[in-house]
This record gives sequence, C-alpha cells and structure tokens, in this order.
Amino acid sequence: MSRNRSRSFITTEKPTSYNDTLDQSALPNLNSNWVYDKGAWLVHIVLILCIKILFGSIPGVPSEASWTFTNLTYMLGSFLLFHWVKGVPFDFNSGAYDGLTLWEQIDNGAQFTPAKKYLTAVPIGLTHYTHYDGITFLVNFILLIVVVIAKLPQLHKVRLFGINRLEAE
Amino acid sequence: METMETAYPALNELFVFLNTTITQISIYYSRIPGSAILLKYIKNSHQDDPFRTALELLLVFFAIIYLFTNKYRTDNNFIELTPQEVEELVDEWQPDPLVPQLSDDDKRELEKIPVINGPQGLKVKLINGKSLINFSSFDFLGLLTNVTIKEKAIETLKKYGVGSCGPPGFYGTFDVHTEFEKKVSEFLGTEDTIIYSQGFSTISSAIPSFCKRGDILVIDEGCNFAIQKGVQISRSVIKWFKHNDMEDLERILQKIKNEDIETGRKLTRRFIISEGIFENYGDIALLPKLVELKKLYKYRLILDESLSFGIMGKRGAGLTDYFDINPTDVDMIVGSMCNALCSSGGFCSGSFEITEHQRISGLAYCYSASLPAMLTVSASESLNILKRNPQFPLTINQNTILFKQILKNVKYLLLNCSKDSPVIHLRINEEIVRVGDIQDKERCLQDIVDEAINNGILLTRAKYVRSQELFGVEPSIRICISAGFTKKEIEKAASVIKNAVTKVLKNKTH
Repeated sequence: MSRNRSRSFITTEKPTSYNDTLDQSALPNLNSNWVYDKGAWLVHIVLILCIKILFGSIPGVPSEASWTFTNLTYMLGSFLLFHWVKGVPFDFNSGAYDGLTLWEQIDNGAQFTPAKKYLTAVPIGLTHYTHYDGITFLVNFILLIVVVIAKLPQLHKVRLFGINRLEAE
Repeated sequence: METMETAYPALNELFVFLNTTITQISIYYSRIPGSAILLKYIKNSHQDDPFRTALELLLVFFAIIYLFTNKYRTDNNFIELTPQEVEELVDEWQPDPLVPQLSDDDKRELEKIPVINGPQGLKVKLINGKSLINFSSFDFLGLLTNVTIKEKAIETLKKYGVGSCGPPGFYGTFDVHTEFEKKVSEFLGTEDTIIYSQGFSTISSAIPSFCKRGDILVIDEGCNFAIQKGVQISRSVIKWFKHNDMEDLERILQKIKNEDIETGRKLTRRFIISEGIFENYGDIALLPKLVELKKLYKYRLILDESLSFGIMGKRGAGLTDYFDINPTDVDMIVGSMCNALCSSGGFCSGSFEITEHQRISGLAYCYSASLPAMLTVSASESLNILKRNPQFPLTINQNTILFKQILKNVKYLLLNCSKDSPVIHLRINEEIVRVGDIQDKERCLQDIVDEAINNGILLTRAKYVRSQELFGVEPSIRICISAGFTKKEIEKAASVIKNAVTKVLKNKTH
C-alpha cells in the first residue's frame, strides 16, 4: 500500500475545525487527562525501576548494559504511547481526536504545561545513568534526541516522512 | 604556596588571599552533611570523559530552559481577556428579545393556519363549521378514523397504561414491541427490525450509529431534513449527488474510487443514502440502479421509506416491493409509523447485526422512552388492515393517476414527479407565470390554498425551516392522495385545484 502522495517530508495537519472543537469540548478527554491523576508522575519512576530490576536480574548483564536496556525500553515505550498511537481507544468524543497523538491531546494542545515539562525531564534525567562508550552512547543519545524532538512545541501537529498523517478526504 | 616568591609583593598578597579563601570554602563545604557524597558523585559522573560532561551540561541547560518557559495555548483563535475587557463586553451586551418581532410574512403565515374542530381525518370540520376534504394529511390508507384501531387502542390503554415510562433498554420494552418488530420484519421480508419512538429521529439516529468520522456517505441532494441532520451529526465525509441523477452518483462513486487508488487510504465504512418517496419532491428513488451501483462499488445502502412504506408496491411493502427487489439487497430500510400506519414512531429494518447494533448505539433508541404500547398496537393493527386489504396500494395508484390526469394540462403548474407517487408537489411554472422571489411564490401558492379551502378542499404548502435546509427547495403545494378517497372526491378536488390555480395565476402570465 503506497502511503500517500505527499512529496515533502514535513507536513502539517490542518487546524482543528469548528465541528472537531465542538466534539472535543463535549466531554473531558479521558485518554489524556490521567497525566494529572494522583501518582501518574510517580508511576514513571516506579516503572523505570521495575524495568531496571528486571534487566538487572538477568545473569551476565552488567549494570551499565541493564541501564541502557532500561533506557531503551522506556524511550521506545513512551515514544509509541505519546507520539505514535493516535486517537482515543474509547468512543467519547465521536472520533474528534482521531488525528492527534496522545502528546498533542494532553492539555488540549497547550505547550510548556506542568505535565509536559515533567514528561520531558524524565528521559533527560534517565540518560544520565547510562555508560558512554561507542555503541551504547550512540543508541542512548539518538533515542533521547528522537524522544525530546518529538516533544518540542515546534513539532505540534507536524508529521515527518508522511508517518501518521491524517488520511486525505 | 606561601613560600612562593615573586617580584611583585602586591600579587603575592593576592595569591595568599585566594588560597586562604579556597581552603576556607572547602572546609566549610566539607562541613555540609552529604557533601562528600555529592563530590564523589560528580567525579563518578564525569567518568574522566570531558565530552560526556559537555553533553550532560548541554542537556541540563536545555531542561532548565524548557522548565522555565511559560505555558501557552496552541488553539490560535483563543483570546485572553483582561477582567476590565470582560466587564466592558458584559456592559455592551444587549440581549436579543426572547420572542423576535413578527415580520409581515410571519403574521400572514400565522393567520392562514386552519384550525380543525374535532378529530383529524380525510374529512375534517374547521372551527368556522366548514367541512373540507383533507388532501394535506399523510393518511394514505384512510385509517385515521378507523373504529377497529380505536377500539384496540382503548383496550391496550386499559391494559398497559399511557406511557412506557422508560427507554427500551430500561424496562421500556413490552411484548407488543417485540411482536410488532417481528411483524414488520415478516411484512418487509427482512431479518430483524428495531422500533424507535419518533419517526423523525429514526433516520437521524440510525445514520450516526453506523457512520463516524472518516466514513464516506454519498447522499441524494433531495433528501429530507431528518436525513440532513443525521448525516451532519455523523461527522462523516459527505458527498452529495444531484437529486435522482444516477449518472452523477456513478461519477462521484468513481471519483472516490480513483482517490482511493491515488492516496492509498484505508477502507472505511461507506454508505449511499436515498429516500423512497422524496418528501421534498414527491418522486421515487431509482432503486434498481442504486442497488446495482452499491454492489458494483461495494457500498451499503440506506433507504428512508418513511413515506413509501405502506403505499408502494403490490402489498404496500415499500420500494423493494414496487421494484420487486430482494429486501436484503437494501442494507437498512428505515420507515415511519407516523404516515401510512397512522400511529407514531419509526423503525429500522435490516439484518440481525444492523438492528442489534442500534440497540446499544442508536441514540434515539437508548435515550428516549419507548413507544407507548397503545401506539404500537395501533400501528400493528394498521398493518393488519393493510395485509387484509391488498387492494389499498392499487386504489392509491388509481387515485393518483386519475388526479394527475386532470391536472396534467394545467399550464401554470409543473407536475414533474414520478407517475406512481401519491405525494405530489405542485410548483409554479415560471415559463408561463411571472413570479418574483421565494416569498412571492409562497404568497401565490397560499392564495391557491385559500381559494381551494373556500371550495371545500383542504390543502397545504410544503413548509421548511429555510435557514436550516442545506439546499434550496422550490416552494410548492404538497398534496397526498389517499386510498380513502372516492373517485368522485378525487375528481372534485382536482377540478377545484385546477380552477383555483387558474383564478390566481391567470393574471400573472408573461
């Protein structure tokens, strides 16, 4: 299946239409509001520690490698969750969020909000625990750059290489 | 260091000062609890790698900038107002009157509404005592004043009470509902049926229960208001084809197909929506071609048979009966019990999956109290009468043909609707008659209606909420031919209308 006919590799989604705004504000977005729930911030740390313990318990894996694996799992997981999967798994807003990733849904698209600041700081802090040599450095740093760039306000509703573009009407 | 000798005593003093300060600071620092750990930690992090430290500092720098940037919104039409500006706006605001001033046209409209004294039916008595034959009601089978239905209704009222007091999903479903659903399915020849409590909201609820954002709907421009609202709520991609123009429909279907190939977009739900007898035009959908195209391009077909159910075809089972098409070829047959069945409510008939899905996602089904048992039984009884009297549709057809025969030669009028449809829209022939805008046409038509009422025939103009209609509909007088009329009544009505039209419009020719 040919993905689309776009020739430029950066495309911007159309601004939200009147109908979409209407449907989005009809009900709270349960898909993104959890970032302000009790413990929603702590759970990131807990998850990271759990992953670390999991990798650390595998015999023969040195501490630095297990940190790299932890880093990798968290970054890939959060990238998929926040920046790849679009829409809402429940039908509350009659599909008004179909074209938006979870990151774009958080705070209704507002930038530099507390949740977004926290979620950006976590991967940056996590990188600190990795050992830098050759391959591990490359893997960790590239992943961090990808995750951080995806969170920048400049990339709000911007699609690269036609990935995740809303389909043409 | 103290032993260091220089040629400049002043510099020497400075070095001594610096040295003592640094020593003092390190002493103070080591007194802070945990300071040794921090120092060790920074040393460890450095890992003898200046490149790493540079990168980390860069990241810390970025994080600090990010954390201290102020929040802003991206929905660009949002304007933050100061409390003062809000105050000003509130002061400036002038409320619209709750009831707007009536225009001259509104006043005329209200004045001309005939008030009926006594029950509604094919023959009615006005409040001024005048007896009229009613050509404006959708009572196609003449069952409004039927005694058997009335008795059945009273019997049911005594057994079940008035209202059902609950939506179908919450204790609102009675045995009479399921029985009626079965009866309609049997009559139409479909798998299953679901009944709604309002005729209007049946289609405007059935459409959005299946069609969502991203789905494609191809709809006839002539469709009625309920369909227009239904597709609007569905938020689907909407393509309109010209009224009953099958070539235009095929062109649009082909265009969508080409776009699919070009863009490689995902396959979504696709529907063609049309009306059996068009409420706004009085003509019949070309069902055989619709079914052919929907099969060819792999669409689903929704047919609104609100008017055609009970009227068209040999048994009166609607358009599938009329064109002799297998009812399962139409994915959803939506009908109304408000018109030919002289009751209330609507139904949607199709496969088992289609009806079951609506039981939890048809909004008007879930959030509206179910149809009162009395009305269900009345509709059911009407259907029984229709089944026992297979001559009804034929009588309607004969009456229609007779009526059109008489009005055919009135040059002031356009009668361009399908020949078998008992819903007739009389429109002014602008080639002969000189009329102005829509208001002017409405006035002319109202004059015709008034003249007919004076001569014993009750007519009505087709009325629209024009600001809400998506496509402009030409003003018209809507006439419904019932099986309850005798040949004589039809002839009388037709000639009265003919005379009224001639009287009103003959002075307005070009």
